[in-house]
Amino acid sequence: MQNLSYFARLWRNLARRKDVEQELDQEMSAYLSLLADESSPREANLESGGIHQLKEQVREAKAGFFMQTLLQDVRYGWRMLRRSPTFTIVAILALTLGIGATTTIFSIVYGVLLRPLPYPDADRVAFIFDHFSPQNAEHGTMSIADYLDLEKGNHAFETIELFRQSLFDVTGAKDPEQVQGAYVTAGVFAMLRVQPMMGRTFLTGEDAANAPGVAVISETWWRHALGADPNILGRKVNLNGVPTTVVGVMPASFGFPRPSYQVWANVRLKPPTFRGPFGMHGLGRLKPGVTFAQAQLDTNAVAHRIELENPKTYHRMTMPVVPLRDGLVGNIRAALFAFLGAVFLLLGIAAVNVACLLLARATAREKEIALRVSLGAASGRLIRQLLTESLLLSVLGGGAGCVLAYAGIAALRAWNPGNFPRIDEVRLDGMALGFALLISLLTGLLFGLAPAFQTGRDKLASSLREGGRGGTAHAGRRRLQSALVMGELALALILVTSAGLLVRSFVLLGQVNSGAQAPPENVLSMKISPIPSTYRNSDQIIPFYQRVLERVKAVPGVTYAAISDSLPPDRQNDYDTFVIQGQQFAPGETNPAVTCPIVSPDYFRALGVPLVRGRFFTDHDVENAPPVVIISESMARRYFPNDNPLGHRLKASGPDLNGSPYMEIVGVVGGVRYTGLDDQPADAYYQPYAQTMYYQRTNLVVRSAGPAISLANSLRSAIREIDKDTVISDVNTMEEALGASVVGPRFRTLLLGGFAFCALVLAAIGIYGVIAYSVAQRTQEIGIRMALGAHRSNVIRQVVIEGLRLALAGTALGIAGAFLATRLLASLLYSVKATDPVTFAIGPLILIAVALVASFLPACRAAMVDPMIALRHE
Amino acid sequence: MSDPAPKTTNLLQGTLDLLILRALSLEPLHGLGISRRIEQITQGTFQVKPGSLFPALHRMEEAGWLAPSWGESENNRKAKYYRLTAAGRKQAQAETEEWQRISLAIAAALQAT
Repeated sequence: MQNLSYFARLWRNLARRKDVEQELDQEMSAYLSLLADESSPREANLESGGIHQLKEQVREAKAGFFMQTLLQDVRYGWRMLRRSPTFTIVAILALTLGIGATTTIFSIVYGVLLRPLPYPDADRVAFIFDHFSPQNAEHGTMSIADYLDLEKGNHAFETIELFRQSLFDVTGAKDPEQVQGAYVTAGVFAMLRVQPMMGRTFLTGEDAANAPGVAVISETWWRHALGADPNILGRKVNLNGVPTTVVGVMPASFGFPRPSYQVWANVRLKPPTFRGPFGMHGLGRLKPGVTFAQAQLDTNAVAHRIELENPKTYHRMTMPVVPLRDGLVGNIRAALFAFLGAVFLLLGIAAVNVACLLLARATAREKEIALRVSLGAASGRLIRQLLTESLLLSVLGGGAGCVLAYAGIAALRAWNPGNFPRIDEVRLDGMALGFALLISLLTGLLFGLAPAFQTGRDKLASSLREGGRGGTAHAGRRRLQSALVMGELALALILVTSAGLLVRSFVLLGQVNSGAQAPPENVLSMKISPIPSTYRNSDQIIPFYQRVLERVKAVPGVTYAAISDSLPPDRQNDYDTFVIQGQQFAPGETNPAVTCPIVSPDYFRALGVPLVRGRFFTDHDVENAPPVVIISESMARRYFPNDNPLGHRLKASGPDLNGSPYMEIVGVVGGVRYTGLDDQPADAYYQPYAQTMYYQRTNLVVRSAGPAISLANSLRSAIREIDKDTVISDVNTMEEALGASVVGPRFRTLLLGGFAFCALVLAAIGIYGVIAYSVAQRTQEIGIRMALGAHRSNVIRQVVIEGLRLALAGTALGIAGAFLATRLLASLLYSVKATDPVTFAIGPLILIAVALVASFLPACRAAMVDPMIALRHE
Repeated sequence: MSDPAPKTTNLLQGTLDLLILRALSLEPLHGLGISRRIEQITQGTFQVKPGSLFPALHRMEEAGWLAPSWGESENNRKAKYYRLTAAGRKQAQAETEEWQRISLAIAAALQAT
């Protein structure tokens, strides 16, 4: 009750100040008049000690006094800021930039790396992978056989589930459509502890070999593609040609493993006849009390038993256990932390910049402050006033920064630069706003403290006497200012160098050739997915593609048409090991797996892959003809260093797989990059589709004499003429595919380049401020020198040299810092070392050039000084 | 802006609060009345200066011990009167007991020598 009345009074004191003051006034005058009745007015006044002081004493005792002075300080600070709008705008812009960028990147780091996953106790769930030779993927996929062994043999997990990502061709509803989804075992939903919003998830046993097709779909897909059909449960759709009953709808918040997943169908665990095919991701929930390390030992023991029992398939086998979040986030961590480091540097630069501006402004306010001290202001009270002003600045900057961050996040989400997992979960939430407030206050304190204490230390009496004219009292402030600018330049150089390294590596990446020499805008590709139920085996698939190729070749404008399951620069479909006839292996050893595209005869011509020796495939390389193969140049060099590979024979899948025939090498072609432009051209062997086709889904590639994008529609209708249910997706030119493959590096380069540019601008403002300040301080001195006959050029040189000295010192510091900092970037660089001498030479040059320009402007102003005016200058 | 009150306030404040509460135990009084009444009941030992009295009155009012009301003073001017609230009476009781305890203890300590 008492507290309540206290707050009521606090509110009254703050909000209805006029009433409170009026009452106080009345009370005091009544008191004085009563006192006056007893004695003379003079005595009364003496006894009361002066009515104003008395009132002030009462005010101090009242609730909210602290807040009242704070409000007073804020009001006063606001007036001071408005009085020098240029200073205020520059300072707030710098802070907006710093805080906005930091908050944006923080939101991404938080959303991607730190925000809890939307599944209960998700930190107990793990991905389980296969890692073995010759598959050699660190986080490789497993087969059903591995899964069954793991489920039976492990002791660490409550359950083990599987999922296999798949594009689903959906037919039977409206237009054929392709949606992202996964085949999952029946227990996945229960293991993730999620509930459907309608219907049910899978029942135990619905992943059996003979189970009917059932699917759970996402709320998003249900609303958008199925018109939010209220009778959706029990409805049948065709998924990859399999009639499937929809049994449940998951709320939109569920998107496993990613929000883009719309359909989860039951996987059917057919008893495996061999250790394959791979492509399954294992998932498990740890038993209570079991750690990840213990689980790792447990799965490795299982892997070891599997290896002992299947020595022909696996070597050096382990089963890595990876926490769910790490598995979902992948390798984005390094880039995110680089960004975070960069924005903190930027924030530091902004803060130092504002500190410099505040120091410079402190000079202009010396008279005011000296006056306040002489009127009795305590130095603590003054520092508080100055800190209030800097906090006011930083809070304004922080507010604007939040707006900037909101826009930044929206832009990033709209752009979604390819490789950001969980980007849909990134938003400007309470956590990000709290972070923005925190860093605003911290930077406000940081950049406010130095100038405030410097002011507190100044000999104010002397500055009052000097009337604010620069004297020796300013030396300390100027030293501090110079030190700050040097630090600022050093930070800026770290950013500029880092961005320089990324730019260099991106430029080099842009010069990389995918291996396809046709003009990229003249090559168009699209993914073709015929319905699996119509084209069950190669007897049906091969004629289908033959017809497609014939029909497509007849489309006006098409020069070459081909199919291939793999495409440069990063669409490797399959890789496998092999053995060359006559090759001898130690037991358990084999050749490493290489890319093995399945292509039609004109594939190399369509892409412009050069023939090195031998021949391309022809229309005669069909099922009953002798099996043939074409190998890449690098593979020829590696395996036939002193020999002509033509005429040798090789076999797919290594020495242990019987049944696959030896194929004669009939050609050697140039290297093509299938695993990204930042990787080496892949060792590859190509097989003709008419001898090996067993995937329904493949890519159509056409080349035309001019830009090929205009062909897209006529190609689409040509294919639909042959089978109207064929799903066509991923239509793009090679130019677009090349661009998309470097979207991650491009994004990193643009972002860091943007930060570095901002840093340069801020550094330029900083050094300009310091030099301009020092010139203003020395107007008289310069005037005297010129009156005594100094040339304008001398004056300019002297001022510029002052700026140059600052720049050199800052650069030296910055190079040292950059050497340490850029090491963290190493994993993001392509064929550039983190200590690349070119970048380390150019970065400082840019910085020094900026510093020269920034100090040249005030230098010119100094040289324009009219000696007579300067001497009278006061 | 003046410096905050000296550090010895605590003890004095405690004394002053008790004196004000006692002074108001009979009837509501205005500021000067309270000051005169304290002088009277302490037989002139304590002369409370307005610079201490009024801040204390406002503080105690905000604490809910005193309630203000506007009334006519003896010279027919509008004056602010203070009276004890229920919380104020309880506080007076508690502080009286506390002071009695202390003064007994101090008296005993003085006699012990």
